[in-house]
Amino acid sequence: MQYELKPSRKQVAMVLDLNKCLGCHTCTVACKKLWNTDQGTDYAYWNNVETMPGKGYPAQYTDSGGRTASGEVKRGRVPNMDAEYGRAWTFNHASVIATDAASGTKEWLRPNEKPKWGPNWDEDHGEGSYPRDNHYFYLPRLCNHCTHPACLDACPRGAIHKREEDGIVLVDQDRCHGYRFCVEACPYKKVYFDYQRQVAAKCIFCLPRVEEGVAPACARQCPGRLRYVGFRDDREGPIWKLVDEWKVALPLHPEYGLGPNVFYVPPLSPPKLDAAGRPLPEMRIPVDYLKSLFGPEVEQAMATLTREREKRRRGEASELMDTLIAYVWEDNFRLGANTREVL
Amino acid sequence: MGFHRQIRLMVAPPAMQPGGYVMKAYADRSEAATPAVDLRVDGSERGGFAIELGWDCARMQGAAGAQTDRFVDACALLCPLTPDAPWITMGAPGQPVEAVYWRADRERPWRMRAEGLGTMQRGEAPPGWSAQGAWDAGRWRVRFVLDAWEALAVQRRLGVAVWQGQHGERAGLKSVSDTWLPLG
Repeated sequence: MQYELKPSRKQVAMVLDLNKCLGCHTCTVACKKLWNTDQGTDYAYWNNVETMPGKGYPAQYTDSGGRTASGEVKRGRVPNMDAEYGRAWTFNHASVIATDAASGTKEWLRPNEKPKWGPNWDEDHGEGSYPRDNHYFYLPRLCNHCTHPACLDACPRGAIHKREEDGIVLVDQDRCHGYRFCVEACPYKKVYFDYQRQVAAKCIFCLPRVEEGVAPACARQCPGRLRYVGFRDDREGPIWKLVDEWKVALPLHPEYGLGPNVFYVPPLSPPKLDAAGRPLPEMRIPVDYLKSLFGPEVEQAMATLTREREKRRRGEASELMDTLIAYVWEDNFRLGANTREVL
Repeated sequence: MGFHRQIRLMVAPPAMQPGGYVMKAYADRSEAATPAVDLRVDGSERGGFAIELGWDCARMQGAAGAQTDRFVDACALLCPLTPDAPWITMGAPGQPVEAVYWRADRERPWRMRAEGLGTMQRGEAPPGWSAQGAWDAGRWRVRFVLDAWEALAVQRRLGVAVWQGQHGERAGLKSVSDTWLPLG
């Protein structure tokens, strides 16, 4: 019995320009503090920032998802708390405070147990050899609010729905029985299990804000101004321009066939160096690696970005570069006529 | 009134599961993780029942704790609320079923009601219902004491389902009796 999914009348979407992400995690903190402080999801980040190339969060998550590279359903896996998510650390605050003044000895603040893995464990590691071709970039990730959500398809209780009015994918926690097929099936691993309340939990695209015309917290708090929020079909908005007009914003792992509605402007990178330290024509981040993340269209997108950037350097006009520079930050967010953004 | 039988169980067919994922991802499930249960039913003339289920379980999963990928052992007894309620789909619209569900990490059982797959609603069991499980030497024994279960007293048929957490069983991933079992 397959579910019949009515197409959404509108679809919210986000574009993230990876050339501007500085890995500060402000987006993650904004999201976590706003929505996700329950003990049962202490390990969970609806929004997180990964260093790529890297293991990601949860570690090697693409290996445990419910889709093959050709978009077919395969049995996924619920990630393990310790080995894949990384358990939230606890610290020796009490003993540090107790020992210092009285005894004159110092106990330094440290985790109670030796950490072995965590969400930013391989932060800034990247790949390559300094100084010739070392490289990494930051990849912020959140629920893609897919057009064909694997999580919705996976729930035997029908506890996940996609809102017709804006395409936001939500878990009805009153209906959820904590079976975790959604966690298993999502190839992006962006549905989490609240182990205390025993229900699934995921990004809600800050829907109470979106309903008031205010962009999600992860986008509004981004110091790099790298996020754009709007409706997918708004031809005057930044999403349409970046995704459909300029074709420089691409979904993550389009091969899964789920129709993600979060898009990324792929990162350009400095040239590799030869043995004498002279720049080579090849960028440091291998194009094949970027293709493995964003699909074959990444080459064309990078060519467009390079071309427009050169135009701007020559002093010529470039609407694309002006949009990506975000001179006018208000233009990054366009959620309709009722917008009440106060910037 | 009472009987004691060993009941063969079958794997609940993944092809019937709602949604598109479970039926495909688990299409290869053909062997029941719990091939058989011992079922003992003792009924009183006042409509109460003491029902005991026993099954082999090599690795007990009694609690999930602060883990994401651990599933807990459980079992359930189902009873039709109408004479024609189908078993394998847990009822159908207008043909409800009722269940008592024990899970190893809970003190009290749940009382459940469904009208087809994916429609199960669970609530606290009446005060006179209890369930206690004990695992010993690779075997679970779960004893339900139900001071009154009107549905069973009237319909006099039961279905049995068992979930083994060690095999990731939950929801439709379970071993079940192949039909309603008459009380005799």
